[in-house]
Amino acid sequence: MGQRIVVDPVTRIEGHLRIEAEINNGKITDAYSAGTMVRLLEEILKGRDPRDAWAFVGRVCGVCTSVHSLASCRAVEDAIGVTIPPNAELVRNIMYCAQQMHDHVVHFYHLHALDWVDVVSALKADPKKTSEIAQSISNWPKSSPGYFSDLQKRLTKFVESGQLGIFANGYWGHPAYKLPPEVNLIGVAHYLEALEWQKEVVKIHAIFGGKNPHPNFLVGGMACAIGLDDVSGINAERLAYVHQLLQDAKEFIEQVYIPDLLAVAPYYLDWGAIGGGLGSYMSYGDLPTNGFADKSSMKFPAGVILNKDLSNIMEVDVRDDSEVQEFIHRSWYEYEGGDEKAGLHPWKGESKIKYTGPKPPYDHLNVEERYSFLKTPRWKGNAVEVGPLARVLIGYARGREDFKEVVDSTLAKLKVPVTALFSTLGRTAARGLESILVAQWGLEFYDQLINNLKNGDTRMANMEMFNPAKWDKTCQGVGYSEAPRGALAHWIVIEDQKIKNYQLVVPTTWNASPRDPNGKQSAYEAALMDTPVHDPEQPLEILRTIHSFDPCLACSVHVYDEEGKHISKVKVV
Amino acid sequence: MATHTATHKLRRVFVWELPVRFYHWLNALVIVALCATGYLIGSPPAFLSNAEASDQYLFGWIRFIHFVAAYLFFFNFLFRLYWGFVGNKYADWKNFIPTNRKFWSEMWEVIKIDIFLQKDKEHLSVGHNALAGFIYFLTFLAFLVQCITGFGLYASMSDWWFADMFVWVGGIFGGDFGLRNWHHAAMWFFIIFAMVHVYLVFYHDYVEGRGEISSMGGGWKFIEEEVFDKEKKKATH
Amino acid sequence: MTTKPTRRPTYYEEIRQKGYSRRDFMKFCSIIGAYMGLEATGVAQVANALQKTSRVPVIWLHFQECTCCSESFIRSSHPIVADILLDKISLDYTETLMAASGHQAEAAKAKTMKDYHGEYILCVEGSVPTKDDGVYCCIGGKSAIQVLEEAAEGAKAIIAWGSCACNGCVQAAHPNPTTATPIHKLVHGKPLIKVPGCPPIGEVMAGVIIHMITFGRLPELDRVGRPKAFYSKRVHDTCYRRPFYDAGLFVETFDDENAQKGYCLYKVGCKGPMTYNACGVTKWNGGTSYPIQSGHGCFGCSEENFWDNGPIYRQMANFPGFGIESNADEIGMVAAGATAVGIAAHAIATNLRKNKLINNVIAEGKDAEKEL
Repeated sequence: MGQRIVVDPVTRIEGHLRIEAEINNGKITDAYSAGTMVRLLEEILKGRDPRDAWAFVGRVCGVCTSVHSLASCRAVEDAIGVTIPPNAELVRNIMYCAQQMHDHVVHFYHLHALDWVDVVSALKADPKKTSEIAQSISNWPKSSPGYFSDLQKRLTKFVESGQLGIFANGYWGHPAYKLPPEVNLIGVAHYLEALEWQKEVVKIHAIFGGKNPHPNFLVGGMACAIGLDDVSGINAERLAYVHQLLQDAKEFIEQVYIPDLLAVAPYYLDWGAIGGGLGSYMSYGDLPTNGFADKSSMKFPAGVILNKDLSNIMEVDVRDDSEVQEFIHRSWYEYEGGDEKAGLHPWKGESKIKYTGPKPPYDHLNVEERYSFLKTPRWKGNAVEVGPLARVLIGYARGREDFKEVVDSTLAKLKVPVTALFSTLGRTAARGLESILVAQWGLEFYDQLINNLKNGDTRMANMEMFNPAKWDKTCQGVGYSEAPRGALAHWIVIEDQKIKNYQLVVPTTWNASPRDPNGKQSAYEAALMDTPVHDPEQPLEILRTIHSFDPCLACSVHVYDEEGKHISKVKVV
Repeated sequence: MATHTATHKLRRVFVWELPVRFYHWLNALVIVALCATGYLIGSPPAFLSNAEASDQYLFGWIRFIHFVAAYLFFFNFLFRLYWGFVGNKYADWKNFIPTNRKFWSEMWEVIKIDIFLQKDKEHLSVGHNALAGFIYFLTFLAFLVQCITGFGLYASMSDWWFADMFVWVGGIFGGDFGLRNWHHAAMWFFIIFAMVHVYLVFYHDYVEGRGEISSMGGGWKFIEEEVFDKEKKKATH
Repeated sequence: MTTKPTRRPTYYEEIRQKGYSRRDFMKFCSIIGAYMGLEATGVAQVANALQKTSRVPVIWLHFQECTCCSESFIRSSHPIVADILLDKISLDYTETLMAASGHQAEAAKAKTMKDYHGEYILCVEGSVPTKDDGVYCCIGGKSAIQVLEEAAEGAKAIIAWGSCACNGCVQAAHPNPTTATPIHKLVHGKPLIKVPGCPPIGEVMAGVIIHMITFGRLPELDRVGRPKAFYSKRVHDTCYRRPFYDAGLFVETFDDENAQKGYCLYKVGCKGPMTYNACGVTKWNGGTSYPIQSGHGCFGCSEENFWDNGPIYRQMANFPGFGIESNADEIGMVAAGATAVGIAAHAIATNLRKNKLINNVIAEGKDAEKEL
């Protein structure tokens, strides 16, 4: 029996995650991932107006904000049978791109970078040398010796104050930090610049959706009417603002994010062989260019890869009740049917909460039994990983030129084979690579929107089916999206104009869930296996791999039945 | 000339003093205005107009009328409360609040005769009967609710200390959402009350023939000589 | 190098360590004061400032939430958040941004709670589930209630961020299955500021903190505990589309001609008339826009219980106790209809039951008519 370590709370994520791991001879030999917070949104949704659902489920997550609202609108539109106008599709796509760019940059700098960048070491950097390095990797203008020297002084003053704030008790000086002080200083500089930048790109959400976090959506299209000749509508000024923001975002990604990624990666190439995990990947596809119904038109292609076999891509169908299923064998639930090993398709999804964990305060969860509020989703019985790496691999394996270009050029620069992608480093790199694509696509969608407007199409919402009286007595729908953290889908059943059942299966549920009835681990746990841990007291390595998934755990959703019996379901993005 | 029915000599009784009649008709007017404008504020119709917003103020006027009427309503109500202490016996506050067993037994009496329509009986009261008095008491409570919720909603728009006295109301109704909902729901109490009230006035005039409707005009009711004597005996007893 | 965050000695502490007395210190303060041309009363202020130069420590807890409040906070454009974090406050614990995880994170929090007992500001994001021993939200093996009680004990003041902490927000919507509870119902006897909204505007959040640091006291609160600076006006009363409302010009359905003209969104469910927030004035994301400007009505995210005061696209709320689809007007119309039917029935019954009385009156009147 090795040493059991607990990391709780796992910080720099969304929500409440707990990791318990067994360490033997400096390596992780077993790992358990547990979600420890639930809110039961699915029950709250029951009986409500389906047109309001986007607002409720939007509140599932404020970090990957907007993606749940998008999936929800798509689910309701699918159920009631409405096609949204092309402009609305484009606006949603532009908002999607803004979200993806924002999320990935914030993840890289503010949630992940401190696993690789030693803030305190940056104090020892030579500003002149730092400037030389910065200028050699990018054209980004903020790179003079004076800039870095001022920053260093500010940082020194901050550290000397003794009040380290968010940097307090970090793992500074840990031998796993490999960057020279100069690169660390660049990292800190861009940490602060990114903090300032991130508030800009989301203004796209504010323009089309009124605010961010939690921009507004609308079943049937978008509420931001085009009014080219009016003060209040989306007019030339608003459009120019969007264009400027898209350009600025692309510039930041190309001149700051990607160069930093490529500057840091060579020091951590050993992480190209750590944290691979499952080797199976899934994407639902997103960014339709010819209407959401046309799956082949999507910028992010759909598909499933099993066991690292890039030559065989399978199709995924979220409507098929034998494909996506959820299991609760190791979660704090029970199924009505009583069959502990059965999985349920979300349209028929049901479960009861049955908390059997320890009473707080506790030291350890009973990981031999049930240990999480997350359910365990499987695709045709397979554990799959979702997220940027899955999307990039599927685009790459499908032979899409845009994906091949960014992937191959990056692999060549780092001089690593494609297999290095199946790793912690690969996951972090894939996030950057798809950001390059998304930044380009955002501008493409913008041009298409302008073209439509030029051609006189100013429709923004299809209100034909907005009146619930026109709906079928019962109908069901599914809406999916590729959220920043991976494949996301919402299933809805509508009866008598009200929500009868609403189920979400979200990316972090796929990745962070406990074991399935066959004892098979999900992505987090699998990826932690064999990870070296230098000092169990300072589990920096665990954080690197877990953070490479960009965990987002708030989305725990449960259901109760009317008699007050707990019918519950945990969801996580 | 066929069979003569009994004829009566009628005595004129001064029931409703001028301030009471004034209160009544002002109240009627502002309640109609408040309900009409209030309903429009809650569910505005589609006004068909292409004029510039700066050229019209339709909804602004609707709201203005509502607020003016609300102030009139409130002070008129206060005045009526005052008159309940200084007015004549028919205006006195004791007509409205059950203070003794007789009040309750009279109410039961009225319910039997006028609501459940006991065959060919009539209940006689010169001013308000006990049931009517009690219902008016309930309307006063509704007036109170409506004034408090209304001024509660209005408070944040006003700099006058009087309206600002009501800022606390939002808190107990769970914010303006609850406040507005209750204020709107209470409107229906007024509408339904008005329907029943007008009907019963006609009912009494029709069944009893004592000038019920006109009493709110001139203040007079007309009762039979023998009824007068009976009432007088009761009063002096 | 592992840096142990130690509290930086203030000027006063430093001077005491060097062997000077408090008397010397006060003398020094009065000399400084004289140089600055201050009156004698200003000396106390100087002394006060020199005794407290360290950044205000802040502990930011996360319970049942979606992190939209933290996200909104980092969207603040003035001041930008990097400056707040480096110069204004010492954010010693926040799960979203802090470098340390697990027990190192908990240790950082414990240290601040001890070293700055009675001095730190406690920010709370999220509601607290109280049902079933609080198992629906656990951090570091402790329930949210336990974590909150520990941290609140030594706090100087508490800020409840967002609707979750102020009123429970979405997880407290009917039927509130986890008994999500707002902070003011759990912590008593501490100054508490409510900053509601889902999320609150970033600049409003920064503004509240800056107010406390700059002026050294809590902002003035309204009677439900919200800062008056941001929550004393209705969105409706500060909305730039208000003239359309006053003119009676409304959007009838989304994307209609009126929507393109930017008319008032009241009839498609805008709850601006009931919602107290700074959206119309401060706007969102550095003043870029706010929901109404972007064509969607306000749905009242900073008001208590707003999720159950829906539906979003109807002006009148559902009426409590009458099922999900009934508003006050529908109930009222049914009641008025029933009353009308009752009146008609009563009128008919009157003519049947009281015919003798009525006939007598009529006969007496008709006799007189004939006699004249």
